Amino acid sequence: MSERAAESPVLRMAVLAAGLVALFLLPWLSGNEEYLMALGVSFALFAVLSSGLNLVYGYTGLLSFAQVGFFGIGAYTAALLVMDLGWSLWPATIVAGVLAAACGALIGYASLRLSRHAFAIVSLCFALLCGILARDWVSLTRGAMGMPGLPAPEFGLPGAGTWRIERPEDFYHLLMGYAVVALAIIYRVMHSRLGRAMRAIKLNEALAQSHGINPLGYKLLALMLSAVLAGMAGALFVFYLTIVDPSVFDFYYTETMLIMVIIGGPGSFWGVLASTAILAALPDVLRFTTDLRMVLYGAILVVAMLLFPGGIGGWLNRRRMARWKAATVGTVASDPQPGNPPPGSS
Amino acid sequence: MSSAAGTLRAEGIGKRYAGVVAVDDVSFTVPAGTIVGIIGPNGSGKSTTVDCVTGFQPADQGRWWLGDTELTGRSAHRTARAGLVRTFQNVRAYDEMSLLDNLLIASQERDGVGWRRSLFGGQPVRAAEAAARERALGLLDTVGLAAKTEAPALALSYGQRKLLAIAAAMMARPRLVILDEPVAGVNPTMIRHIEDAILKLNREGIGLLLIEHNIDFVMRLCQRVVVLENGRKIADGAPDEVRNDPRVLAAYLGKSRDAMGEFRHD
Repeated sequence: MSERAAESPVLRMAVLAAGLVALFLLPWLSGNEEYLMALGVSFALFAVLSSGLNLVYGYTGLLSFAQVGFFGIGAYTAALLVMDLGWSLWPATIVAGVLAAACGALIGYASLRLSRHAFAIVSLCFALLCGILARDWVSLTRGAMGMPGLPAPEFGLPGAGTWRIERPEDFYHLLMGYAVVALAIIYRVMHSRLGRAMRAIKLNEALAQSHGINPLGYKLLALMLSAVLAGMAGALFVFYLTIVDPSVFDFYYTETMLIMVIIGGPGSFWGVLASTAILAALPDVLRFTTDLRMVLYGAILVVAMLLFPGGIGGWLNRRRMARWKAATVGTVASDPQPGNPPPGSS
Repeated sequence: MSSAAGTLRAEGIGKRYAGVVAVDDVSFTVPAGTIVGIIGPNGSGKSTTVDCVTGFQPADQGRWWLGDTELTGRSAHRTARAGLVRTFQNVRAYDEMSLLDNLLIASQERDGVGWRRSLFGGQPVRAAEAAARERALGLLDTVGLAAKTEAPALALSYGQRKLLAIAAAMMARPRLVILDEPVAGVNPTMIRHIEDAILKLNREGIGLLLIEHNIDFVMRLCQRVVVLENGRKIADGAPDEVRNDPRVLAAYLGKSRDAMGEFRHD
């Protein structure tokens, strides 16, 4: 992140490595507390979903409701391949990701050539349609009952037997490990030329076109990448739940993801990760009041938008701008009137 | 007919909006490396013509070429990649990004590094980024914004934003740049800076097409001037010829052609 550009990269790598080791050791450090493992799994899942949405919304500027559809399609695909065709979960997860990406390409290509608004509406319809299919295509999906009893996945470790993933800490490691890989990919894209082009499209699409950037291509890329990652997350997550049913398409996921991105600050990788950590813990903090939970979420969202427009990332950004202004006082503060000769012209 | 690589040739451009004719059979040529102006009153079809040849609006009629490459019907980004780049009348910039990033973005699609290599990084990307950076710093210096390399674009004045847009358009070494109202709403001091920048860049061999209201500015800089009125071309020639053309005077002064005699020799 550019707001930390001043810090040494070695220090940042060290902090990152220490954080990853701590995440890995958490089950042992915490004495395998089931509650903490469940929070970790929830955080890992939402980190992938909200960061994927952040790439689509925060970078290319597309408001997408389709993310939950990709997630659920991945979940159902993996469950069906394992239960009906006897596949192992790992190839099933790959297929789940590919299918989700194909759906992303389909709705993206169909709607993105019209407008951003068309895309938002089509993505919403897609997510709703997925839920209806899961409920009503009974011969394939078992309808509202879903498919309970998903078996514990097994991972063959070369030369060390098999890792049977059934305890909460196993799923913690599986999903957290997946999240780290997925987030590293998203981070890489955001901080490469690709991410720069995506931001350019969000900030000024016509200008980006005049610079040779193909908006449709980058939007599809962002959408498909977020779809692959969400689909694979869905595949792994339902084996933790041990059941897949139409509730994987619930609006709750969409709402939670959107709140995480908005509070975190669209376009800010670390901001969204921070808000995801806070909001993943919140349902358990608010467990005493399940009925009011979404109301409280709404209240938090309104307050956040009033106090932190641009989210956590926006707040960091404003601090950076303030620092920049303070550092260049005199050259800039006196300058913005048109007509002052630009400094440095000879 | 073969022409130099940077020559823009447009033939019979036409554009209608719901029956209203915005541009009607307009043809013009910008010879490689020259500066040509298009002038005309508000609503005369200047910007629509530019939108058409740069792929930002589909033209109803006409064909156009850059050198021997036909660009008719190409999308905006593919037109830009072919070397025909434009700026916008309402100056556009990536406001929240630094001036340096504003310029780096402007060339990253055209330095031969594909998106796959962009993702995986490595030597080709680093080399391309270093070259682009050097070019960007040079251009910022040329337009007099070198002191603000790391400033966000929104910290610039209106005139400075116009300079930034010109620098960005030049980033990928285009063959021809169309500047849509480069000095509209800019004070005389800044106009001189913009004029200097345009002339410096023209000396690099880049051709320019200026869309402007400021007739003095156009007459000073351009080797050739095209005049539009109500979507039609009414004059096309050297600045001095155009300046004394009765139809041009009528278009600008709003007089009927019969009454033009007394203005002609001013």
